[in-house]
Amino acid sequence: MALIFIRTAIIFVTLLLIMRLMGKSQIGEMQPFEFVISLVIAELACIPMADTSIPILYGIIAIITIFILHQIVWLLELWFKPMKTVISGKPSVVINKNGIDEFQLKKNNLDVSDLIESMRGAGYFNIDDVYYGIYEANGSFTALEKEETTASPSLPLLLIDRGKADEQNLTRCGYNREKLNKILTEQNAKLKEVVAMTVNSEGRAYFQKRGEKYKILQIEVKGEW
Amino acid sequence: MVKAICYTVAAILVCVGLFIFSELYMMKQIDEFAVALDSLYEKIENETATREDGYAVRTLWTDKKSKLQILVPHNDISYVDYWLSEACGLLYNGNYELALGKVEVLKEIAKNLPDAYRIRLENIF
Repeated sequence: MALIFIRTAIIFVTLLLIMRLMGKSQIGEMQPFEFVISLVIAELACIPMADTSIPILYGIIAIITIFILHQIVWLLELWFKPMKTVISGKPSVVINKNGIDEFQLKKNNLDVSDLIESMRGAGYFNIDDVYYGIYEANGSFTALEKEETTASPSLPLLLIDRGKADEQNLTRCGYNREKLNKILTEQNAKLKEVVAMTVNSEGRAYFQKRGEKYKILQIEVKGEW
Repeated sequence: MVKAICYTVAAILVCVGLFIFSELYMMKQIDEFAVALDSLYEKIENETATREDGYAVRTLWTDKKSKLQILVPHNDISYVDYWLSEACGLLYNGNYELALGKVEVLKEIAKNLPDAYRIRLENIF
């Protein structure tokens, strides 16, 4: 019985550690330890229920262990604030007044397209529509909206995502590598140095070079989308 | 908060109590069974064992089994059932030499069964 307790605790801690290492992209609207509990508890309840050769006490002990660990984690978070950061993580400011914070994105195993997807989920279609964009510890995205947002009926396309050009989107807006390189030369940047570049059908482009504040450019585009 | 702490402490106490009880209870049941096996082994060695001796051990095991099934996976228990039935069958035919081997296996199982559930590194990982 004590063996079950120890094994459950080891699996719980391992899963919690892995979920923390995976970053915010893997958890949805839950604290990492809550996510781990919901992952584990269903299986723990099912196995002794379906397999009659396993004493039901094994399942009960494992579930009680999860309860005890949950309470311990909860109390630790409540009493020792630094533990909250260790166990549940802390919010990451991925968009600040300079634009996208690439370091924070990398830290959370996310790329610009993930960020744009989260922004769309929160109701923002342009990166420069918000002063700050934050990934909360539970993986949800919140933002501080600008007073004046881009009132455009056009959906921005991602042309460059952390130094990589999206060929499909380039073709869609009537661009090729040569044309893109021309813009990059004008901006005194190499492809690898660009954190993000988006453009809407009106030619309004968000351009951010690594280590610099973002710029809003007006470029020529072809096609409607 | 106080309520939550009380629940946690209560859960820990229940677990610790259950761990101690299950360990002691399993040891006791297996020890009694091992003593019965030792006695049967001696009788077989002296070729004085009868089929009733085998059945007596089986009856004792049936009684222990019903309680141990709460604590031990049924697959482990079925090993004992299997070897005990073979030993009883051989005793019925008076085949002491082969029965001795079967009881030897049973003694080994009885010796190792509690160890498989103890807190040891090899059991944890």
